[in-house]
Amino acid sequence: MNQPPDLFEGLSSEECETALALGVRVTVSNGAELFRLGDEADRIYLIARGRLRLTMPMQVRGGEQDVLVEERGPGQTVGWSALIPPYRFTLTATAPLETEVVAFSRETLQHHFLKNPEAGCTVFLNLAAVVGQRLQVFQAMWLRGMEQMVEMRFA
Amino acid sequence: MEMLLMGACLSLLGLAVTALAFNTAAPHTEESPAAEPETARAEAPARFFADSPAMPAVTFSASVPIEALLLQIENHVRLEHAAAESFLAAPNRTLLHSRTMSQLVN
Repeated sequence: MNQPPDLFEGLSSEECETALALGVRVTVSNGAELFRLGDEADRIYLIARGRLRLTMPMQVRGGEQDVLVEERGPGQTVGWSALIPPYRFTLTATAPLETEVVAFSRETLQHHFLKNPEAGCTVFLNLAAVVGQRLQVFQAMWLRGMEQMVEMRFA
Repeated sequence: MEMLLMGACLSLLGLAVTALAFNTAAPHTEESPAAEPETARAEAPARFFADSPAMPAVTFSASVPIEALLLQIENHVRLEHAAAESFLAAPNRTLLHSRTMSQLVN
């Protein structure tokens, strides 16, 4: 990672190194799942290399199909459900190619940032930005989807 | 007497023409199989809904392979995601309502 990952933006390089050292590097092989919708979420992940597809099951022709919701790449965060009750993943993350992530357990992060509240505040503001950005994107997508549905059904 | 016969002949001729016309217009029930009216009844709603603007999904009927449909859905999500991100980069009404090239909505 040349640039700091989105979660650690605003931290000094030393703080960033310290925080990264709290994580465990995990390699997800091509086609494998990192987590599944409904699973207990106790880790948040930074993508170091590769890509993750975030999908949700959609009813298509009477069957369930995993449909792409978002794609995340190097430096981006996935799995923030690990920090937000009820700590269950709401999406499924699959690697379309061999991908390396850094996994941080909720407990380790909480412990570290309680001891370093200033860095913790920066990280949780970054997390709020990640969550907020996704919320805003999906608000706009929801509205556009509603418009399209209304236009198709009642035009 | 001649006038009476001529009138009777003309009446018979008129009756014959009317009977012939009626025969042509009337359905030939004895020639049609019993299942045919059922088929006609079954097909009628399909023609009705095909013209309805409320059913645009006919484009993506069962004849489209599921893989192709999923690709179209994925393409739609990518385009809509990009459009939503463009809106967030510079929020304004035009970008919010901008149309994409997605085949699912065009």
